Amino acid sequence: MPMYHLTGKAVGGFKGNIGMLTSLGFGTEILYSFIIIICSLMIYFGTKELYELSSHKGIKYFRQSFLFFALAYFFRSSIKFGLVYFNVAEIFDIPRRIFLMGVGQITLFTFMYFSSMAIFYLLYSVMWKKWNGNSKKIYLFHLLAFVIAISSLLFRNPLVYLGMNFFLLLLVIITFYISRKQSKQKKTKQNLHIIYVLLFSFWILNIIDILIPNFFQIFQLFIYLASSGIFLAMLYKVLKKVGSN
Amino acid sequence: MAKRGRLEIIRDILDIIRENHNSIKPTPLLRQSNISSSRFKEYFNDLQERNFIKKVNNKNGRFILLTEKGFKFLEKYKTIVNFIDEFEL
Repeated sequence: MPMYHLTGKAVGGFKGNIGMLTSLGFGTEILYSFIIIICSLMIYFGTKELYELSSHKGIKYFRQSFLFFALAYFFRSSIKFGLVYFNVAEIFDIPRRIFLMGVGQITLFTFMYFSSMAIFYLLYSVMWKKWNGNSKKIYLFHLLAFVIAISSLLFRNPLVYLGMNFFLLLLVIITFYISRKQSKQKKTKQNLHIIYVLLFSFWILNIIDILIPNFFQIFQLFIYLASSGIFLAMLYKVLKKVGSN
Repeated sequence: MAKRGRLEIIRDILDIIRENHNSIKPTPLLRQSNISSSRFKEYFNDLQERNFIKKVNNKNGRFILLTEKGFKFLEKYKTIVNFIDEFEL
C-alpha cells in the first residue's frame, strides 16, 4: 500500500474532491480533534497558576503532555483541513497528487512526533521523582519520538507500525506498573490508573486508526467517542482538583 | 517526624511571616523555620527571586514581608498538594 494512502487517511478519503470535506467522516474527525484540543488546552491553561506558584516538575511535565496532545491533534486534522479547504495547492500551483501526498506525510510526521512526546511527558510526570529528576531523559524521549515519526514515514509495512507501537505501549505500561509496585505509597488510586492505562491504549488505537485506516473502520466512531470520553474524564478530574476558576 | 518536602518548607516559611503580622526579621525567621542556615539561604533567595517575599528596611532594621504572590501561594497550597497527590506527580 503506498505510504500516502496510509498517511493521509482523510486526504485519501477526499479523492481529490473538496466537497468531500463536508462528508460525515471528515466532519467527525474535525469535531473529534476539536474536542481533544479544547480538553487538552483547558487542562494546560487550567493548571498554569498551580505550576507558576509551585514550580513543581511533575505539574510541569503533566501540563506539557497535554500541550503536546493539543499540538498532535491540531496537526492531525486542522492543518490538513486548512490547507485543503483553502485550496493551497492551486494558490501555489502545486500538482494536486503531490500536494495531497505532502500534506499526508507532514501531518503523519507531526502527529506521530507530538503524540509520542505527549505520552512520554505523561509517563515522565509520574516517574520523574523515581528517575531522580534527571531531565536528560527528556532529550532521549525527543529522540525516540523523532525516530518513531521518521520510521512511520520510511517503513511501508503496517505490521511494522503495529509491532513498534505495541512494543512501546507495553514498555510504557510495564514501566508505569513496576514503578507503582515499588512505590511506598500504599494507597493506590485505581481510578487514575485506569484513566492513564486507557489513555495509553487509546493513543495506540488512534495511531493504528491513522496509519491503517481500514483496520478499525467499523469501530472508528467507537474509538473517537471513547478517546473523547477519556479526555473529558481527565479534564473533569483536573478542573475538580484545581477549582473551577 | 517525617522529612518535609520542598513545598512544605516553603509553606512553613511563608506561614511564619504571615503569623507574625506579615513582618519578621531574618534571624527569628531562620530560627522558626527549623532548617539549617545554608538551606534557609537557598530557600530565602529562591522565594525572593520568585517574588513571594520582599525585604523592607526601616528605622528598626530589616524586615521580611510577604508579597501578593506569597499570600496566593498560601491560599492555594492545599490545592497544589491535593493536585500533586491526586495525579501522583
